[in-house]
Parts: sequence; C-alpha cells; structure tokens
Amino acid sequence: MNLVQLTRSDHAGLRIDPAKAAASAAAIHLVPLVADEIRKVAGQFPVFLAKDGETGQFYPAALMGLEPQENLFWNGTALEADVLPLNLLRLPFFIGGEGDEAVICVDMASPAIDPAGPCPIVTEDGGESDYFRAVQAMLGRLAQGRNATRRFVDLALEHQVVREMKLDLAFHDGSTSLLTGLYGVDEVALGRARSAIADFGDLMILAAMCLSLDHVAGLVRRKNARLAAQAAWFTPSA
Amino acid sequence: MSATENRAIRSVCIVGGGSAGWLTAGLIAARHGPDLAVTLVESVSRGTIGVGEGTWPTMRNTLRKIGIGETDFMRFCHASFKQGAKFARWRTGAADDFYYHPLVLPEGFPDLDLAPYWNAQAAAPGNGVPSFSDAVCFQEALCEQSLAPKLMTSPEYAGVANYAYHLDAVKLGELLARHCVDTLGVTHIDDEIVDVTLAENGDVAAVVGKRNGPIAADLYVDCTGFAARLLGEALGVPFIDRSDVLFIDRAMAVQLPVEEDSPIASHTISTAQKHGWIWDIGLPTRRGIGYVWSTRHAGADRVEEELAAYVGPGFAKLTPREIPIRSGHRELFWKNNVVAVGLAAGFLEPLEASALVLIELSADYIATSMPATCGAMDFVARRFNTMTRYRWDRIIEFLKLHYILSEREDTAFWRDNRDPATIPQDLQDQLALWRDNPPGEHDFASAHEMFPAASYQYVLYGMGFRTRPRAGQLAQRDAAEDAFTRTAAMKRKLTGMMPTNRALLGKLAQHRFPTL
Repeated sequence: MNLVQLTRSDHAGLRIDPAKAAASAAAIHLVPLVADEIRKVAGQFPVFLAKDGETGQFYPAALMGLEPQENLFWNGTALEADVLPLNLLRLPFFIGGEGDEAVICVDMASPAIDPAGPCPIVTEDGGESDYFRAVQAMLGRLAQGRNATRRFVDLALEHQVVREMKLDLAFHDGSTSLLTGLYGVDEVALGRARSAIADFGDLMILAAMCLSLDHVAGLVRRKNARLAAQAAWFTPSA
Repeated sequence: MSATENRAIRSVCIVGGGSAGWLTAGLIAARHGPDLAVTLVESVSRGTIGVGEGTWPTMRNTLRKIGIGETDFMRFCHASFKQGAKFARWRTGAADDFYYHPLVLPEGFPDLDLAPYWNAQAAAPGNGVPSFSDAVCFQEALCEQSLAPKLMTSPEYAGVANYAYHLDAVKLGELLARHCVDTLGVTHIDDEIVDVTLAENGDVAAVVGKRNGPIAADLYVDCTGFAARLLGEALGVPFIDRSDVLFIDRAMAVQLPVEEDSPIASHTISTAQKHGWIWDIGLPTRRGIGYVWSTRHAGADRVEEELAAYVGPGFAKLTPREIPIRSGHRELFWKNNVVAVGLAAGFLEPLEASALVLIELSADYIATSMPATCGAMDFVARRFNTMTRYRWDRIIEFLKLHYILSEREDTAFWRDNRDPATIPQDLQDQLALWRDNPPGEHDFASAHEMFPAASYQYVLYGMGFRTRPRAGQLAQRDAAEDAFTRTAAMKRKLTGMMPTNRALLGKLAQHRFPTL
C-alpha cells in the first residue's frame, strides 16, 4: 500500500478501474461497517462485532471468510456479491486523519489505478467526474458514520445483547476450523432487551445482525465448494 | 428460643474505613442490597495505614462482585499487573540468586505433576537444567521482560495469563468508599468513636460517636486497625503473638517516583537483606519500596544504609517512614456480634501479599454466610473462627518456609530463622515427607487452603530443596516431555505477542478494556 494525499495538481489525470479495486479484498475476511449500512449488508453477509487489536473497542464488520486472509466471495476476478460494504466500494480511496483534519488519500499501489480505466476523477471540462462524486459521497458517509457507529456499538453492549460466537465448523473433506474473536447479536438476549431499546431503527439493525448469522451456512457452502475444487485439481485425471 | 435469638439481623455497622472497612462494606452491600442497612463509621481525619499494595488474583472477582469495572479501578488506583513474585538472594545471597513464584500453575498441574521429572534431571550436577519455575511455567519469561498478562482486546478481569494487581491502597479505599456510598447505598458517618457499650449478654450494644452519640447495629465489623477497638479492647479477645516464628517486626518504607516511560515490573520483587528483606512494587507512577526487618537483630541505622544502597541515588531526596509490625492475630476473629477484618484481626509481613486477600476472604464469608437471625450468629462465628485460624496457621507456615531453606550464613537473622525451635512442628513433619513425595493435593485437604500445592513446589525447589524421585513417580515420561515442550512453545509465543505493562497501561489511559 502506498497512501498519498489526493491533490488536483498531482492527480487530475488519474484514471480508475473500480472493478479491479476489489482485488484488494481478496485476502480480507472481515470488512468494517458503519451503522447505517448494516441492515443492507446483513442481507448478504453475516455481520458481527469484532475487536480492534490496538484499542480493544468493538466495531461492526461483515464476515467474508472462515479464516484470516480468506475471502470466500472472491472468485479470482471479482467479488460475487449483490451488496458490498462502503469500505470496499470506496477503494482505492481512503480517508486520512479525523474531523476537520480529514483528507482524501489514494493508494497509488492499487491495481485499480489504470491509465486505461473507464473512470477519470476529473472530467475534460475540469469538473469532478460522477464516479469521483460517488466516491466522495461514500467517504463522507464513512467519516460522518463514525460517531453513529460508536453510539450503536455502545448501545448493543449496554443492553447486553452481544455474545461471543465461536464458529466451530466442520467441512466435507473432514477438516475443521475454529474462528474466534467474533461477537454476534443473540436472539434470546435481544428478546429480553427489546422493550428497553427505544429507537425502532436501532432495534431493526440489531435484528438484522441477529438474522444475518444464518449466512454463516452460506460461507460454509462456499468453503466446501472451494475445498472440492482444490481437491479435484490435485487429483490426477484418469 | 428467646426473643433476642429470633430477632432478625437488619443492620451492620463497620467501624473503620480503609481497604478493610470499604471492601467489607462493598461485599456485604452488593450481596444484600436493601435487605440490610450497612453503615460505615470512621474518623476521616484519622487516615489509614495503607498496607498491602499487592493483591492476589482473587481481587478481580472481589471487585466484579462489588460492581466496579476493571478500567475504572486500574485508572483510579494507579494499578499495574502482578504475575507473581521474584525472590532474589534468598537462597545463597549471591547477586544472581533468584527464583519465581508465578501465579500460573505448573503446566499440566495437578493432573500431571512435573516436579519428579524436573527433580530427576536437576539432581545431576552441572546439568544445565533451567530453574523449576522457568522449566514448568511460561510466566517467568513474561515477568523477566516486564510484559503484561493481557491484551487491549482482553475483556475486563480476563487475561491471557493469570494475574493480580499492584495498586495504591489509599486510592483503593477512596474508590470503594465512593462506590459504596453513591451506588450501593452504604451510609457513611464521619465521627470519632469515643466509647463502646456492652449489653448484658456481652454483645456490643452500641459504638458511641463523639458527635452522633450511640450508633446501634445487629452486627459490628471491627476494622479499627492494630487497635482492635471492638474485638480486642471492648470484648477482650487476646492477641496471639507469632513473632516466635516470624521475626519481622518493623518496616521502613519509601515511595520512589519513576520516569513516565520506564518499564513497570510485572511482579513483586522481594530481595533478601542482612536482617530481613526489601519489597519493591512497581506502579505506573512510583515504586513502593520497603525494608522489613527484625529489630531484635538490627537497628534502624543499619537498615537504612542497606535500603539506601538498594534504592540508589534517588534515596537522598526521600523521607523513609517507619511502621511497627506485630506478627500475629487475635485468638478469636468473631465473638458475640463482633467480627474483625484487616489489621484488627492480625498482621503478617507482606511476603506473600496475604493482607488484602484475608480481608476479601473474611468479608466474603461474612457477606455470604450472613445469618438471618441473631440466634444463628454463634454457630456462624464458630465456623468462621475455625476456618480463619486455619488460614492464619497455613500462611504463617508458608511464610516460614521461605526462610528455613536458606543457605545464608551471613547474619544471625538467617541462622536464627533455621532454629528448629522456631519452626512449627507440622511444617517440620511435612518437610520430611516432601523429601520423598513432591507437595501434592493430598497434603492440602481443606476447602480453606490459602496456597495450592504448586505454590509450595515453587518455593521449595526455588530454594534448592530436592525431592528424591521414585520410579513410580516417573511413569508418564512422554506426557512430561510434552508438557515441558508446551511450556517452551508458550514462552516463545507469548513473549512475541504480549505488550509491555507500560505500553498496555498507556493504551488503557485512552481506551477501555471491552466488557466481554
């Protein structure tokens, strides 16, 4: 990764191929979310809380693989998903700094930086391209969503609806895996706490997280398919 | 049954604050809520002695029960992590002479006992075998590098390795007082007790405050320190002096400020001196250092010289404080409607940080066994007395064990400590058995043991004691080899991944440990 601050003088001629940006997600199994996208993302991926290793604080994240550095939605050229988190869609752009100090940065090492890419960031008449306006909007949602996300996580913890979920899984080839460090919304606990959660929007996000745990089965199915494909590749054909 | 016997116990009066008073108030109030009126009366201007800056791992559960979070506790009390004790110069007195008593049990213990296997290898001279504590447990390796027992992601009160705390005991009293009054509904009265009145049956009828007059309760907890105003003075329960076994009777203490980025030791350092030993307890803000010694063997001037040499150039700016110590305990700890907790119950040198843990155990028993009626109190008191006496005796024996195996010949203090007349008979008998059988759970059959058999192993083998292994004890060679290998692997893994105490406490100033 090579993050540099985006400036008109240095980067006006930059062209992006957004499809290639997703390649950076090939080796990511957890993608951080902001609160206001959880309901949508939870329709596709299991959504958990995980802990930031530096600060110990919980953050919501979509699970895309069953071990670190595994993304079961990456097929070698694209992410096979109808919905993607903002943190993948914004690539190769990043927010650097916080609050008033925040600036837009770009990863100059990203494969999405491509002179033949379909998306300029500055149009021929010198204005910002529609593509880049969409990126700015996403970065804005991510930056503005920080506090709302923190508040949502605190609410989930305060109402004690969060439980550690150890994913103890067995696959068709007989192998097993144990994924720890994931915390999900527990249905029974949510049932107990529901009358104390005043905001219906909060309740719906928690319910969406709770129901999204069913998507773990989808991840296991993808893992089995991947293992079967690898096994077939290793078996010499008759 | 008389009317008195049927009377329900509705109120508890704790006399005296400090760690003892407030821990007791907190544990009782947290357990009984509005069913029991808890009052703590203390003379705020009187101040506390602030003993016991080292805890046991039990403190984690105690604070959780009282309802105080670990982040709040550690920040307020300037606490750091303690993973055991390092005993330096106890065996030979040489500069490189040390062993550890870590808080993590030996690998595999108690299902698999590594002691015979280690003894078998260590018996060969010049064998290159690591010390017992280093061979059977990974924790010494963490301590030697000032590494923390937990990560920023570890939930409150949970860790990767077992741990206790080093803390500012005065701050602990303040934190508990605030929590007890604001959250748990404990009534706090600032008053000086000028008298204690007795009822006909010998119970305390009231403690009399200078301003408040008589304060009556169904049960009194005596937390008045060495004075034992209720149990000792009013009820006449005698003090049993144990200085025939443990000679230490005075402490000289200093607090040494430390640099903001200096390493913080992960263990209590106890360094043997000519006439006693020096404790060294690292907090983020200061090191608490004190020399405890026997005044029968040396005067304060000679002790101060050794203390100054230990502390180094910083000593000149410090004012050492002398604290008298009376090794011993009350003959009874609960009589009629008075139970003593803390210094009022007794005191021993802080060699194994037994002060706070005895407070926690006593207060927890009082809270959980609180009789519903006054009539049931005598039976609860009898059981408490038997149990508590057993605990004091075991601690005294365990502390004495640290001294009797020393090979130091330099002073009368060390020679006198090995005089059989000063060693409890049970300990002498036990030691003879341990020549052929390593300390095991069979040696410690009570539900009220203070130290597990593993603690005796750490001290015995650390001090150079050897058990002659017999063939039958060496039957699980493969399992033992695996356990030694696991220990070595854990050492490599954890020393690579754990942050330093200083780094973790720095983060804790910014962020909170997660609640789960």
